[in-house]
Amino acid sequence: MNEKKKSAVSPFGRGLVKLLGSERRQNISIPLFAILLSLIACAIVVALFGKNPLTTLVCFLQGSGVLPKPEYAAHAGQLSDFMSMINALTPMIFAALAVAVALKTGLFNIGVSGQMLAAGFIASVVVGYSNLPMAAAIPLVLVLGVAVGGAVGALIGFLKHRFNINEVVSSIMLNYILEYLISFFINQYYINMVSRQSNPVSVASRLTLMGVSVGDLRLDLPLGILLAVPTAFLMRFLLDRTRLGFELKVVGLNRRAAKYAGINVGRSMVLSMLISGALAGLAGVTYYLGTFNSIQPRVLTSVGFDSIAVCLLGNSNPVGILFSSLLITIISKGGNYMSSIMNIPQEISQVLTGLILLFSACGAYIRYYAAHAREQLAEESRTAGSSAPEGGERV
Amino acid sequence: MNTIIIDGLAFALPLFIIAIGGIFSERSGVTNLALEGFLGFGAFVGAAVVTAITGGAFAGHETQMFLWALLFSVIGGAVFALLHALLCVKFKANQVISGVVINILATALTTFFTSQINTALFGKPTNKFVLGVCDKFTVPGLSKIPVLGSVFTDMYYFEPVIIVVALAASYVLYKSRFGLRLRACGENPHAVDAAGGNVARIRFFAVMISGALAGLGGICFAYVISASFSPSIYAGYGFLAIAAMIFGNWKIGPTLGACLLFGLARAAGYKLAQSLGLASAFSDLFMIFPYILTLLLLMFFSKTNRAPRALGEIYDKGKR
Repeated sequence: MNEKKKSAVSPFGRGLVKLLGSERRQNISIPLFAILLSLIACAIVVALFGKNPLTTLVCFLQGSGVLPKPEYAAHAGQLSDFMSMINALTPMIFAALAVAVALKTGLFNIGVSGQMLAAGFIASVVVGYSNLPMAAAIPLVLVLGVAVGGAVGALIGFLKHRFNINEVVSSIMLNYILEYLISFFINQYYINMVSRQSNPVSVASRLTLMGVSVGDLRLDLPLGILLAVPTAFLMRFLLDRTRLGFELKVVGLNRRAAKYAGINVGRSMVLSMLISGALAGLAGVTYYLGTFNSIQPRVLTSVGFDSIAVCLLGNSNPVGILFSSLLITIISKGGNYMSSIMNIPQEISQVLTGLILLFSACGAYIRYYAAHAREQLAEESRTAGSSAPEGGERV
Repeated sequence: MNTIIIDGLAFALPLFIIAIGGIFSERSGVTNLALEGFLGFGAFVGAAVVTAITGGAFAGHETQMFLWALLFSVIGGAVFALLHALLCVKFKANQVISGVVINILATALTTFFTSQINTALFGKPTNKFVLGVCDKFTVPGLSKIPVLGSVFTDMYYFEPVIIVVALAASYVLYKSRFGLRLRACGENPHAVDAAGGNVARIRFFAVMISGALAGLGGICFAYVISASFSPSIYAGYGFLAIAAMIFGNWKIGPTLGACLLFGLARAAGYKLAQSLGLASAFSDLFMIFPYILTLLLLMFFSKTNRAPRALGEIYDKGKR
């Protein structure tokens, strides 16, 4: 390294260090930087189609109701688009929280989709096809969602604790078992011959109030969001401020140390999967009895898998998840409108989601790169200060 | 009984080769949730290449085209796996998130390009490449053995290919120096580094092998299940392969057992549903069979299950 190098740090590195700021600020600045990078990458993709990247971005925001569209059909408006986006956002928040809680305990819940399906199905059958009034139906749907999802989750935790069955395998197996079992029951008893889906649930049991007239507009009001946002804060409280949360995290960080410290590791794992499953159950009822009102047999929703990425994009932090879910839902929801206006294939919005996740996955590298550049800068300023003229030789 | 073995093998072997792909990656210490994406993208490349060569007319040279499809699926899978390797090894990305991202990207990209290519070639934006059928053959003599003979009856051409590749893969993993170092990377990468091995390079190759094998399995699934490539290839076979790999304790031999179990139980379930003559909805009930069986067996065989020690950890030279 004895060349006449002026500085080992490129101008890019210098800029990056300044931009990202201190270690503490990096928790926010790095994800933002990653999103910025991915937007640039997406702009390049869009430009390859010969379209204006900026108008495309605006289209995404317009389609999801964040920005006003130039014109609306009767009874539709920015607010109705926005509410429809929130309607899709609700299950995503719950599902991502489910992944996060398990992840904190070092467990990987890849079975969120199956737990969602089980909860949605049981709630549909018990409440959705009954004629309970709304005041009884909605709490019951929520309770059933928590109970069924929690039961499936706890089963996975129990299998791990008692039989040492890797939770990834048992979740995948349970996903398939639930998918086929429920498909059988739907096809046999609850099929709607026209839509080839299960019969729609009653209006009273649905967690989204459809087509409510507010002024001139018709809105879909998702009640679940009123529960989803507090749940995120509740999970943060649980994980950061309670003894149970602390135990779960210790088990996740080092199982042996946890055992040595007298924590009941098996119980913690079962509890963690129970909470995770219960959250997945809430995602299920807000999805199958909220965003939609029927179940398609033999299909597992992709929400359960996308939520893994959303959770990690939010740094497994419950409050971070609120933002990452919002971002991903805006993109998927705005994709339709963008595709029709800009005449770009719909799949591009999925590619966009992929790119955002891809760059945020590199957050650790950006952090490493910035820390490295900072160290070199510090070293250079030290050598420059002591004796060496202009950069100097480094030992 | 014969059809169970024939159909079971046709499902188990592609699954097996994908699971071996998973083993290569995970034994080197790189978590691989991306198998689903690898197999889809690999199959897409293979299918796209033969569609482009033949223009959709397969009559006469189906076997030749099948071999081309196989070759390009392997290449396609390996190239796509570069992305996972780059993210996980070079850019120190979270390996789980990278896997999920790759699955999302694979679905989006292949669906998009399939319709684009179909528009360009045939003027119709369908999301499907028709592949034609993969020929079968029967080994004379061996197929006459009672029961076991059906293993050699009506074999798809890809089955011997997979067996040969699997043998080669287990030789590389267990008998070669590269394999030894690869396994060591999954247990103690610092030791490999100290012994003069290049951890990053080994993991890089491991992930690419993983993609190549998954691509091979993917095109076989495309042939055997629908004789075409379409987004229906993303039916969770990659995740099933991951389950088989973990069931097999990250070892090739036991993983073969797990895959055979899946395949045979699945075929047996189908056969049973057929022979009972029940309504089609009941076939769903029989589909559960392999998964329940697996869960039950896992209760007995999971005691000693242990993941590679350094699995999922980003290798950091300075860390002690």
